[in-house]
Amino acid sequence: MGELTFAGIDGIIILSAFAIIMLVIGYFSGRGEKNIHESLTGYYLAGKNLGIIALFFTLFATQYSGNTIVGYAPTAYRTGFSWLQSISFMTIIIGVYLLFAPRLYVIAKKRNFVTPTDWLEHRFNSKGITLLAIFLMLWGLGNYLLEQLVAIGQAVSGMTGGTIPYQIAVLAFVFVMLAYEWMGGMKAVAFTDVMQGIVLLIGIFAFVAGGIYLAGGSFGSITQFIAETEPAKLAVPAAEVNINWFSMLILVGLGASIYPHAVQRIYAARSEKTLKKSFARMAWMPLLTTGLVFLVGIIGIKLFPGLEGGDSEQLVGLMANEIASINSFFYWIMIIFFGGIVAAIVSTADSVLLSFSSLISNDVYGKFINPKASEHRKVMVGKIVGIIAIFGLLWIAWNPPGTLYEIFVLKFELLVQVFPAFVLGLYWKRLNGKAVFWGMVIGAIVAGVLTFTGNKTVYGIHGGIIGLSLNFIICIVGSYLSSASAKKDPVLEEDMNVVNL
Amino acid sequence: MNKDVKEPIQKKWIWIGLVIILLGNVPWYFSDSMVEPYIFGFPLWGFIILIFSVILSAYLSWICLTQWNLVEDEEEANK
Repeated sequence: MGELTFAGIDGIIILSAFAIIMLVIGYFSGRGEKNIHESLTGYYLAGKNLGIIALFFTLFATQYSGNTIVGYAPTAYRTGFSWLQSISFMTIIIGVYLLFAPRLYVIAKKRNFVTPTDWLEHRFNSKGITLLAIFLMLWGLGNYLLEQLVAIGQAVSGMTGGTIPYQIAVLAFVFVMLAYEWMGGMKAVAFTDVMQGIVLLIGIFAFVAGGIYLAGGSFGSITQFIAETEPAKLAVPAAEVNINWFSMLILVGLGASIYPHAVQRIYAARSEKTLKKSFARMAWMPLLTTGLVFLVGIIGIKLFPGLEGGDSEQLVGLMANEIASINSFFYWIMIIFFGGIVAAIVSTADSVLLSFSSLISNDVYGKFINPKASEHRKVMVGKIVGIIAIFGLLWIAWNPPGTLYEIFVLKFELLVQVFPAFVLGLYWKRLNGKAVFWGMVIGAIVAGVLTFTGNKTVYGIHGGIIGLSLNFIICIVGSYLSSASAKKDPVLEEDMNVVNL
Repeated sequence: MNKDVKEPIQKKWIWIGLVIILLGNVPWYFSDSMVEPYIFGFPLWGFIILIFSVILSAYLSWICLTQWNLVEDEEEANK
């Protein structure tokens, strides 16, 4: 984020205030709920009782991180109007949810699932699939968490003009996050998400308003400027860009909807009504977040023309500096906005960490190491391993990678391989465990190899999508080839007919 | 099957509609000259893509609210 000279001590005040608010919310969500630390459902899913406001904001604040702003605005700046795709690939996630969330919600309530793995284990009863899925999900979550940790440090040290060094910033917010999560679990995560989401929205609106004001008051004049200086950024995208756009729709849609923390929000809904209302509102949010962030990047082309590569990554910080100097109103709004970015990163990180811990508690420890342990003990193990994992990731985070967007795509490549098992399994009785297992293995290997050999996309199609296509083919062909088991599984029958119950 | 029970995946038209909107939402069908006129500061093609993005949001939001009803009646009755 570079040096933001506008904030300094004022930034520290706002950040401290945010931190205290988060801790207070965490404290109150844990207080008086004895159940929270005694049961997996209580701690990890808020007792499956999230109402519409908490559920909507936790879906929102978890899905949109500070990275969405800090990383996407420079992408819009560099690529121009073709970055309009960031609106649709965030919207399509809701479309993908509609493929599986309605039925999964019903089954999960009935069978009392805690993690996505519970569904896979219930459906396939295969150690191989369970272990592989746990591995892929922990990998995705770990990578995602790492990215958030790197981003927290950059945002805070940028905001305070370097007054708070990178490492201390990360440690301070990690401590706050661990503290409220320890006290209130999912309930604390969801309630802090309400505050974090609201601050972020206010900040984005103010940012766009300030940016347009600085750029001369009308969006048309900005486009006019781009047309004169960099017409390529207005041009109709080339064929490969369009193929990549379709590929992004599939990759993000399938990948983001299958994130373990996303799936757990389906489980945590109080009722079907709450869940569908939350999704219905979420469908509009890309226009108000990635859409406005896109505008920020476009406005940036006029305000700071000619930034290349790494320099363009500083765009949000540069613009915030300028906007803050308009007048004292914008000065304070910008400080709140940067606090909002930090809050948004924390709100994503806390959910990812919680989900990570739940996989350790319920899946690794609860299914393989000590299935007979009390729920209290399982929760405890997850909490402690979560803390150890955070500090392990911090080791890696001290050497932050270059562009945020690069790792964003990487984490989906592997995670998305769980999708066929997860969703086909909901509807297709014949789907066979062995085929699912090999589909996942080969899909993950192909996606991983393509990515690590520098072929992240082939003709604009992401390696993860190529792996996923193979994965689907193996699942389907493999299931048809294997001798159809004649015996009817009564539990499976019941799940498949859940709609008629 | 109970008539009031609605599950989006079982309604083909939902997904055909979604694919049509998505096809409209990616600018593969424009000729290179469709940059002008500018509408509210957006190049023509970008403005059309934006309209499709709004349609996509509206469509999915509407589907969630009206085409999804598995256990709601039962849950609300038990409250």
